[in-house]
Amino acid sequence: MTALAKMTDKFSETRIDDEYVVMLLDTGEFLSLAGTAGAIWSLIDGTRGRDAILAALSDEYDAPEEAIAADLDEFLATLRGNGLLAEA
Amino acid sequence: MVEPGGQELLANEMRVRIGAVPHALEADDLPEYSWQLANGQFLLRTRGEHYFHYRRGEGVTIERGEGADASEEPLWLSGSVYSAVASINGFYPIHASAVCHEGAVHAFTGPSGAGKSTLCTALAARGLALFCDDTLVFDLSDPERVICLPGHKRLKLTEEALALTGAARQEKVGEAIEKFYAEPHALYRGGPLPLAELLFLEEGEDPRIEPLRGAERMVRLQDDHYTALHTAAARGFDAAGQFGHLATLAQRITASRFVRPWDQARFDAGADYVYSHIVGTCGKGEA
Repeated sequence: MTALAKMTDKFSETRIDDEYVVMLLDTGEFLSLAGTAGAIWSLIDGTRGRDAILAALSDEYDAPEEAIAADLDEFLATLRGNGLLAEA
Repeated sequence: MVEPGGQELLANEMRVRIGAVPHALEADDLPEYSWQLANGQFLLRTRGEHYFHYRRGEGVTIERGEGADASEEPLWLSGSVYSAVASINGFYPIHASAVCHEGAVHAFTGPSGAGKSTLCTALAARGLALFCDDTLVFDLSDPERVICLPGHKRLKLTEEALALTGAARQEKVGEAIEKFYAEPHALYRGGPLPLAELLFLEEGEDPRIEPLRGAERMVRLQDDHYTALHTAAARGFDAAGQFGHLATLAQRITASRFVRPWDQARFDAGADYVYSHIVGTCGKGEA
């Protein structure tokens, strides 16, 4: 398993209402992470890999892993694309 | 009850005298209509050799050199200088006009020309006291409440705004500025008050007020107005510091968008709508 970690020197984050708000320090761009995106973001803690996150989401949303795997992978790709994700 | 300390401090720091001032605070020369803020000082140059200098604890000094137009000084003092002095002294100015009702402040923000002063004039005509025009200063030192310091109350209105509100026109704000001073019908003369809400002005067909939640509230609080630039300069914010400041504001402030028509025929409908909203939500205070 490869654990996923956040590149904490690349962003600032806060939580407002039920959303995570992330600012990319390089560009000043804001990301709003609500719903499942926020849930995934909170599960990226440097100990879980992609499969463990998928299992946790499946439990939390009571949905089969096959139904949410594609969305998870797409979101992780977005985070990687923004330089926010490290493979620990 | 809110202590008047911040209000008294700002009033004291805004005392004005005429005299010679430095013509730059940093290595670079200061072009006309620009400012520098550094080391507890603020220097503004307007037209020609017209300078406004503030140093913490010493008040404001105005130098009237060649090309200076003294008639514009109240405008600069109540705007840029006041904002900078507030920032240097640990307060947070924002670009907003506000009224108050039953001990709480209802503020309106939006870009220049959005109708902040015009709406507050209309609300004052409906009996809500004007709290400040164009610059609203927050004191965030109380963790339980966002406190607002009363500000300048000489409204600055365009011809169109005078026509919309029926306000009595006074003298022109400045030779090159197409606005006129106007006295509001009702003025707040008391001390600091807690913020009830901040309303972002938008134009649209039917009047409505919608809460701003999550990231949208934070993004909308981003501003490139000089009030925000003064805060960033006074605090020495980098990108992360600016983000943290916005997050603090967004977490502590109740904010909504106020959509209303901006044509003469329907202006009153918008003013009536928000007046009812304020009167109906009195005493809620901020989140």
